[in-house]
Amino acid sequence: MLRLEQLSFSYRTRPVLQDITLEIPRQSFLALIGPNGSGKTTLLRLMSKVLQPSAGKILLEDKPLSRFSARELARRMAVIASDQHFEFPFSVVDVVAMGRFPHLNRLQRLSSQDWEIVDQALRLTCVDHLRLRPISQLSSGEKQRVLIARAIAQQPSILMLDEPNSHLDINHQIAVFNLLRSLNRQHRMTLIIVLHDLTSAAAFSQTIALLHEGRLIKTGSPREVITSELIRQTYGAEVEVFPSPLGGFPQVAYGPDG
Amino acid sequence: MQASLRSNLILLTMTTVIVAGLGLFLGPIGLPDRYILLNVRLPRVLLGLLVGCGLAGSGTVFQGILRNPLADPFILGTSSAATVGVLVANLLGWHNYYALYFMALGFALSSIAFVYRIAQTHGKAPIQTMVLGGVIVSLFFNAVVFVFFSIFYRDSFTILFYLLGTLTGGDPKLMVISGAFILLSLAVCWAMSRELNGLTQGEETAFHLGIEVETAKKILFVAASAMAAASVAVAGMIGFVGLVVPHMMRLIVGPDHRWLIPASALGGASVLVLTDSAARTVVPPLEIPVGALTALLGVPYFLYLLKQRQDAGEF
Repeated sequence: MLRLEQLSFSYRTRPVLQDITLEIPRQSFLALIGPNGSGKTTLLRLMSKVLQPSAGKILLEDKPLSRFSARELARRMAVIASDQHFEFPFSVVDVVAMGRFPHLNRLQRLSSQDWEIVDQALRLTCVDHLRLRPISQLSSGEKQRVLIARAIAQQPSILMLDEPNSHLDINHQIAVFNLLRSLNRQHRMTLIIVLHDLTSAAAFSQTIALLHEGRLIKTGSPREVITSELIRQTYGAEVEVFPSPLGGFPQVAYGPDG
Repeated sequence: MQASLRSNLILLTMTTVIVAGLGLFLGPIGLPDRYILLNVRLPRVLLGLLVGCGLAGSGTVFQGILRNPLADPFILGTSSAATVGVLVANLLGWHNYYALYFMALGFALSSIAFVYRIAQTHGKAPIQTMVLGGVIVSLFFNAVVFVFFSIFYRDSFTILFYLLGTLTGGDPKLMVISGAFILLSLAVCWAMSRELNGLTQGEETAFHLGIEVETAKKILFVAASAMAAASVAVAGMIGFVGLVVPHMMRLIVGPDHRWLIPASALGGASVLVLTDSAARTVVPPLEIPVGALTALLGVPYFLYLLKQRQDAGEF
């Protein structure tokens, strides 16, 4: 689906990512983790064509990413960036309907079929009851679900998110991750998520890619990547990792020194 | 929802027609005769409608691209730049209307590009810096205007009136040209409502929604500046219409540009004709330059919006 070949990116003269090679098959659930400044958000921005690589290439469906127009890309991938602007009081349903833009021609109106897709997205993310509320007035958990609804309305095959759980309480975090999991399983979307939180990365993703100082240190299943050894190497933190009682995925534990 | 938006728009159209009628017949001395009506009032009302349309349209589009409800061609310095463009064209003795208009547009575009360039950091242009940039540009161009003043002191009264914004000097040919530019730009912006709606969500998000952001932004900046420049070319500096009207219209038809652009055009037309009618009737037989009146009304509104946003922590 998405293939990165010897990808490098420099910001002016400072190298941010070096020699990243990664294959992301259809319907995978990939978490990008790594300490601050390891380049995970930059990698996501490269994969979504916000930034252009300094070297190497990115192939989407075996075609270079640079050959896709914004519109062609938006029909294939939906991206929820971490900075969001809600300066104007668009209603929830208006925001979700924006997900249909890449499928419409200029001045073409949303058809009843488009509205059906929008309604479905609103129901799937449980924000249907908020549809006429201005998005600026919602809580961060609700906003995040509305943005996911907009992404669903785009009907993409890939969904990318940058830290979807930052600023969310734990109940909203669990709800968002379960939603993403069902999109991955039932709707066959490929998910690529930048994550800070190792616990949710281990609990929900199939594959984890660990970045450190702009290099890809390891890619593999949560059990292969989340080890106390690798965490010490990359984050420089002393942690214990043991299988979770909830299903055997690795869980990170830490406490006071000594 | 669509139906109520449509009826709001119809209501606005009716208001504009009524206001235009009022503008025609309202005056310091009873009912005007046929000559005054056709040769003085009618051009003035038409000019007011056009300029109001242009200023409010320009403000709406600037606010959308910059994602900030406080933007306006006057505050961003675009209007003063266009003014200097007009004065320079006059100085060079270019009395060709197109030359005049394109000088105004050229100055307007370079000033907005400059302000945007100064303000831009990490791909964002925070409004405080843009306003600051606008103030700096205005100060600079005001200084240029004073230089003009001292050189052409014989014409200083005309220049002064022009600077303060007035709907009296409606040259029919210039009006037609400016009107054409305003309506054309407005149509372009309306056709790009979807892009504008996307841009209000942030440039990256707009790109992820399939919008070619840089192209869209360029077209919209040019169209918005073209409207501001055309308004300035015929009526001088009339401030705050572009700020206040889109804000009022957002309360009536919401933020969707497909409705907001036509609503702002109509609202701007009504507000300016109404203010102009007031400007020439409150202290008869004198008249206040309409630009001075819009500023008197607009500044408190601007401060109110600024304070409100500050209180809401939106800075």
